[in-house]
Amino acid sequence: MKKLFNRKLILFTLVCGLFTSCNDLLDQEPDKILNNDQIFGDEIMIKSVLANYYGRVHWGQNTTSSYNYTILDEAGKSDGGPDNINSYGDALFRVYDYTLIRHINEFLVGLRTTEILSAEKKLSYEAEARFLRAWIYFNMARSMGGMPIVGDDVFSYSPGDDITALQIPRSTEVGIYDYIISEIDEINGYLSVEPTINASRINKWGALMLKARAAIYAGSLANYNNKMTTPIKTDNGEVGIPASEAQRFYEIALNAAEQVIASGKYSIAIKKSDDLSRNFYEAINFKENNAEVIWARDYIYPGQTVGFTRENIPPSHAEDIDRAYAGPILNLVEDFEYINNRDGSLKTKDANDNYVFYDNPLDIFNNKDARLAGSVILPGADFKGNPVVLQAGQKILQNGNWVNNISDLGKVDDDNNLITSANGPVTSNVQYVNKTGFFFRKFLDENAGASTRGKNSAMWFPRFRIAEAYLIASEAALELSNLTKALEHINKVRNRAGLNDLITMTLSDIVQERRVEFAFEDHRYWDLKRWRLAHTVWDGISQNPKAMQYALFPYKVVAPGNPNNGKWVFDKQLFVNSPNARFFQMKNYYNFIDQGWINNNPKIVRNPFQ
Amino acid sequence: MKKILIITTLLSVLLVGCGKDNYDEPTSVIRGKVTYNGKAIGVRGTAEVIQLQLYQDGYQLKDHIPVYVGQDGSFSAKVFDGQYKLVARSNNGPWVNASQDTVIINLKGNTEVNYEVTPYFTIDNVAIALNADKNISANFTINKVVQSATVRYYSLIVNKTAFVDDAINIWRKEYTDPNLSVSLSEDLSSLNQINTNGPLFARVGVRSNLSEQPIYSEVVKIK
Repeated sequence: MKKLFNRKLILFTLVCGLFTSCNDLLDQEPDKILNNDQIFGDEIMIKSVLANYYGRVHWGQNTTSSYNYTILDEAGKSDGGPDNINSYGDALFRVYDYTLIRHINEFLVGLRTTEILSAEKKLSYEAEARFLRAWIYFNMARSMGGMPIVGDDVFSYSPGDDITALQIPRSTEVGIYDYIISEIDEINGYLSVEPTINASRINKWGALMLKARAAIYAGSLANYNNKMTTPIKTDNGEVGIPASEAQRFYEIALNAAEQVIASGKYSIAIKKSDDLSRNFYEAINFKENNAEVIWARDYIYPGQTVGFTRENIPPSHAEDIDRAYAGPILNLVEDFEYINNRDGSLKTKDANDNYVFYDNPLDIFNNKDARLAGSVILPGADFKGNPVVLQAGQKILQNGNWVNNISDLGKVDDDNNLITSANGPVTSNVQYVNKTGFFFRKFLDENAGASTRGKNSAMWFPRFRIAEAYLIASEAALELSNLTKALEHINKVRNRAGLNDLITMTLSDIVQERRVEFAFEDHRYWDLKRWRLAHTVWDGISQNPKAMQYALFPYKVVAPGNPNNGKWVFDKQLFVNSPNARFFQMKNYYNFIDQGWINNNPKIVRNPFQ
Repeated sequence: MKKILIITTLLSVLLVGCGKDNYDEPTSVIRGKVTYNGKAIGVRGTAEVIQLQLYQDGYQLKDHIPVYVGQDGSFSAKVFDGQYKLVARSNNGPWVNASQDTVIINLKGNTEVNYEVTPYFTIDNVAIALNADKNISANFTINKVVQSATVRYYSLIVNKTAFVDDAINIWRKEYTDPNLSVSLSEDLSSLNQINTNGPLFARVGVRSNLSEQPIYSEVVKIK
């Protein structure tokens, strides 16, 4: 007789038992994934989604990467050996973020359906999200020209759908700038007119600044690209704005910038008239009662901090093992003019090629543009109340010639005089020592602990500030042949720096003013690109002093009996850590289009030179 | 023991494939040089600066295969048999952009193909030497090929490896005089490497006002 319950059947039944349960332990709602109802039913959740987007729009040259400051002509890499930079990458500072654009579009869909917010609040959140989207398009446009504009659509795809409908071709370069400007026009009325806390959220004036900046970029591209012997363009205008558009864009820029100036919410303030350098430093770096900064990437301890101070603090002031990663170069320092002389070259030698002797290392910088000492720590200047000694060595007399006496860091001679400072500058490959003769001051945090690995700095990074409104207005007015207005605006910025009024001006005055006012603020690269000057400044020729990096080495004179004993002399020399001339090629005016994007969307055309 | 054998035999069945989705690696090689009048021209061979592009028509997604040109003007690519188009990247090398021609290659087995261009200048009669006084001397003639071009600079470059160009070097000097028949002599005694045992290599380069890359001479071992 067959067994009623054979072994297999019993086993099968028992195994089945494993898949039943008495409670719904496995049927829980996930607590890490939130659905739309949970997000758009709660204002705090809506805000935190928005905060996430604010955290994802930080691109370009900024304080999160000290290295990026050393690849142009503002600072030199002092950390270890030479950088061997010659040319620029095809994807340098390239931005392509349709993931974030899609997330913002999904957010807009949810926001428009939510019922917990008043209509007014809904519009203001929507305006913020759309501003961030316009900012993404702006960052894409300035790196690559026209790119696909997807509008508010949230695309979906299921197998079998016509995929070509989702493949949007690149817009024209005019089109993408016009789109940014029209977005700002639609939303700026719904944004707050008051300055936000630490300028971390966008308000009406920040949005208008984006409009002004986009318009001045587009205007100068239309103007200067077409003045090149062979303008850079593609057949269908993805790159290349017609010259006829220049006037229109300049007018938009002037108008938007003047709206920001006229708002009265921000001002080019002189709060410390006895120390204009300090005044400049505080206007950009102090968050309390700040009247300068309109929109910034804010940082706050704990959680949101930045390592720029820790990486670049002078060794004599360091609080942790990191220090002296990079230092500003002489090229930048000399571009700051003298109050009585627009040529800012430092006078290290006289007409007969003899040294000029200075009682104090800071004397050579007397009467410089006040912004210099507010942006750069000069040899012998104070930081946090203590002097930053930069001494490459001693100058001693040998057979009537001045020669260098250099030692290990921080060593003294028999008479207890310092030979080479612990800060440098040096020409060797050692780490953590200055090699240019200068340290950063702008964005260097003075608070205790800001240069430690455990704490880092909460120094913000301004993206828009009122000085830019004045300089955009000045540039636009100049291009529109309104010299009176152009001078009025530029002189406002110059007066804060203790400089005399200009009585006439050309574009080169704008180039100069923006170079020194916005040093380390992510303007230089984009400015030289839009004026089509980058390939002439960084032309890859080592006999062009603008393409090479220079350092300034201070020496103390030790020559007992000589009238110049104890004074200071300076040597200008090539910066050893960057032996090659900077070479910005025509192909660098627009980043390359990635092949992967073309594979996904064959309608995307390549950029010129690619 | 027997059990292990059986298990191993059974498991090895898992590793057997039917070859349907396995291609053999490409075996055909395109080899050649960038030439002017049949003579190879010297370029910068580092950092993938000078590129030719290999296209194959007839596929939905087409990306070119970059073919990097070495400093002696040579290039090679290992690909599948088929018909290819070889073309230089736009405005890339030290030659006239319009002079680049698409070369069609019917590849079956190995193929030699030269890519003919018109450089702005050529460098001839190059003689570079290091004398006992640690002076480097260089004599060469710059020949203008394109009448509208002018010399932006010419340079003498030294390196301790056989890769020598404007960016990869230990010593380099640039000259901007309009001389086309050049005779140089420079003191290298300050170079550390001159006193050690290692070898030194040198070459000269000429950059025209119309291109972003210089044309170079052959690399000469001088020590």
